[in-house]
Amino acid sequence: MFRPREMKRTLIIGAKQDVEKTIELLHSLEIVHIIDYQPSDAEEPLHLGTPTEKASGVSQNLLKLRSSAQLLTLEREPPSVSEKISEKQIQRDIYLKTQDLELSVLSLTETKTRIEEHYRKIDERIRQLQPFAAMNIPLENYQGYDHVAVFTGYLRDLKKINERLPKITGEYELFISDEKDQMIALFIAKSYADDAGKLLSDCGFTEVKLPEGEGLPKQFIEKWTTQQKELSEKLVQTTKDILEFRKRYAEFILASEEYLAIEVQKAEAPVLFGMTDYSFLIDCWIPTDDLPRVKEVLEKEMEGSLYLEEIEVKHEDEPPTLLKNPRPVRRFEYLLELYSLPNYRDIDPSFILSLIFPLFFGLMIGDIGYGILLILFGILFMKMFKKSEGFSNIGWYIIIAGVFASLFGLFLFGDMFGLPFLPPAGETGVVAYSWSSLLGFHIPIPSVIHKMESLGMTQLLVISIIAGFLHLGLGLLIGVIVEKHNRKHAITKIGLLFVLTALALLIFVMADWTIGQWLKPLKNSVVAPLLWNFFIPLVKAGFSFGGLLVPYISVVFGALGIVMIIIVTGGFGLVEVLEVTSHLISYTRLAAICVAKAAMAFAFNMIGLGLILSGNIAIGILGVILLIFMQLMVFSLGALSSGIQAVRLHYVEFFMKFYKGEGIQFNPFRYVRKYTTTE
Amino acid sequence: MAAETGIIAIGAGIAIGSAALATAWAQKTIGAAAVGAAAENEKMFGKGLIYMVLPETIVLFGLVIAFLLWTKM
Repeated sequence: MFRPREMKRTLIIGAKQDVEKTIELLHSLEIVHIIDYQPSDAEEPLHLGTPTEKASGVSQNLLKLRSSAQLLTLEREPPSVSEKISEKQIQRDIYLKTQDLELSVLSLTETKTRIEEHYRKIDERIRQLQPFAAMNIPLENYQGYDHVAVFTGYLRDLKKINERLPKITGEYELFISDEKDQMIALFIAKSYADDAGKLLSDCGFTEVKLPEGEGLPKQFIEKWTTQQKELSEKLVQTTKDILEFRKRYAEFILASEEYLAIEVQKAEAPVLFGMTDYSFLIDCWIPTDDLPRVKEVLEKEMEGSLYLEEIEVKHEDEPPTLLKNPRPVRRFEYLLELYSLPNYRDIDPSFILSLIFPLFFGLMIGDIGYGILLILFGILFMKMFKKSEGFSNIGWYIIIAGVFASLFGLFLFGDMFGLPFLPPAGETGVVAYSWSSLLGFHIPIPSVIHKMESLGMTQLLVISIIAGFLHLGLGLLIGVIVEKHNRKHAITKIGLLFVLTALALLIFVMADWTIGQWLKPLKNSVVAPLLWNFFIPLVKAGFSFGGLLVPYISVVFGALGIVMIIIVTGGFGLVEVLEVTSHLISYTRLAAICVAKAAMAFAFNMIGLGLILSGNIAIGILGVILLIFMQLMVFSLGALSSGIQAVRLHYVEFFMKFYKGEGIQFNPFRYVRKYTTTE
Repeated sequence: MAAETGIIAIGAGIAIGSAALATAWAQKTIGAAAVGAAAENEKMFGKGLIYMVLPETIVLFGLVIAFLLWTKM
C-alpha cells in the first residue's frame, strides 16, 4: 500500500519463428510492460524489429471499418452494447462482412447526400423564381425581343419612376407585383434602354436575374414544391434505413474494429523488440508477484523454447510505477497523479492523502450545514460527470470532505450555516443569534470552540500548528526512510525534524493556557503522573527572552538540529531551516480560512436575519432571498478555497519533504476490451 | 487607552493588508504564467498550481502578526 508494486526486469529471448506465438501469449497475460528497444551502436548484432507480415493488410481493413464507423457516427455517439462478441465469431465473419458493409454504408450515405443535394438545388431554384411568381407572366415572354429591353428587379422608389418614366418615352410597359417587396418588370423600347437604366438606378433598383425555362413561374413553383415533398419523404426513409442499419451492425462494426485494433497492436509489437536474423529479444518489466505465473505460462505453452532471464535492477534503471491500493484509496491516486506520478522508488502517499486531505478540507469548512451541502453537491457532481474519471473522483473527495465537515461542525464547532446551535455565553442582541433562540427550543449541541471569539481563534491557531507539526513530521520521517541510502540527505532531514520539534514546543509553550485546558481530561488517567511530573515541567523550564518564555528543551533541540545540518551540508542546509519554519506557519491557513469563512457567514447572517426579523413582510421576504444568495456565496467560496488550500498543504508543504514523482506509468502490453471477448 | 487600541488596530490592519497586496501581486504574475504553461502542456497543471499558491504563505505571516497585535488590544 505504501510502495508501488515491485518490478523485475526480465529478458525474453527466442527463435524468430516463435515471435508471433510469444506475442499472443504476452498479450493475453496483460501484465508485461515492454521496454522500447534502443539499439546502442552499429557493432551490435541486434537491430530494431519490423512489423509482422499481416500488419499492413490488417491496418487497411481497420481503416475501412473506421471509415464505416465514422459515416455511421459510431465514434461520436457510441450505442450501448448489450453483450460482447467472441473473437472467434468475428474471425469467421469479418472478411466476408467488411466488404459488404463498406459498400452498403457507402451507398446508403451516398443516397442520403444525393437527396439532400437535390433538395438544396430545388430550394435554390424556388428562391430565384419566387420574385417572378406574383407577376403572372410566362418566363418566355421576358426575353427574345429585337426592339424591346427588359428590366427585372426590386425597386425602392416607385413614385419617382411613375413620375419620370413618361418623360423619357411613352413606349414602355411597367408591371408591378402587388407584393410588398415591389418587384417590377419594365418592358421598354431598346433605344431608350440606357436612359431608363440610369433612371432606375436613381430610384434604387436592384436587378434580379431571370431564371431559365418556359411557362408560368407559379406552376413551376407548385411542381417543385411537390418534388421537394417527395424528396423529404425519401430522406426520412433513407435516414431511417441508415439508423436501422446502424442499429443492426453497430455491435459488429465496433467489435470488429476493436478486434482489428488488437491485431494491429500485436502485429506492430516487434517494433519494440530487438531482432537478429534468427532470434528476437524482449526487454520488459514484470511485477514480481506475477513473474512466476508469466514464467509458467510461457514455459508451458512454448514447451521450453523461450529463454527467460531476470536482470538485476540497477540504480540508473527507471522501473515503471504500478500503484497498489485498496479501492477507496485508489480514487485518491488521481489527486496524486495530478501533481506527478510517484516514481518507482517513492513512498506512495495515496493512503495518507486519502485520510488527511479530507480531514483538512473538512476542518476548514467545519460546519454541519455546509458539510451536508458538500455531501449533496459531491453526489450530484459524481452523477453529472459519471463518464469522466477525474471529475467523478473530485466528487468523491467532496463527499468525504463533507462528512468530515459535518463531524467537525457537530462535535467541535457546534454550528450550522455559520450560526451556532447555542448562543455564545455572555452575549446579547444580534450577536447572540443562535438556532436555539431562533427556533425557540434548546438544542443541546455546544460549541467546543467558538470560531468568532478570541479564545476560539487562538485554539484554532494552536490546532493548526499541531496539525502542521504532525503532518510535516510525518513527511520528514518518510523522507528519512526514502533517503536511507543517502546519508547526507537523511541526516539533514533528521536535523530538520529536531528543528521542527523545537519550533512546535516553543509555540505550544506560548499557547500554554490553551493546551493546558485540553490536557485537563487526562488528569485522572494513567499517564497523568508522567505528564505532570516529567513532561510539563521539562517543557516549561526555560528563560525569558523579550517577554517570551523560551524553553530550554527548544533551544537544545533547535541547536542540535542546526548543528547536524551544518555538519553534513555546510551552511547551505540552513536555508531548509527557514523553509521548515515558514512551512509550519503555513498551516495557520487552516485556522485562517476556517475563521474567515465563519466571519463572512456571521456578517451575512446578521444582515439577513436582521431583515427577516424586522416585522415587515416585504422586507422579510427580501431578507430570505438575500440570505439564501449570501449563504450560497459563502458555501461556494468556502468550498473552493478550502479545497485548494487542502491540496496545497499536501502538494507544497508535505510532498516537498520526501516526494520526487515523475514516475513512468506501468503500461502493460494489452488492450482494454470493450466490445470483444476471447471466450 | 482608546487611542492606543486604535493605533494597534490600524497596525494589525496594515500588517495583513500589505501582506495580502504582496501576495496578490506575486500570484498575478505566477498565475498568468502557470495558466499559459498548463494550456501548452496539461501535465504542468500540478506544478503550476504549486507555484501559484506558494506566495500565499506571505499573507499568512501578515495574519499571524495581525493576530498577535489583536491579542494585545
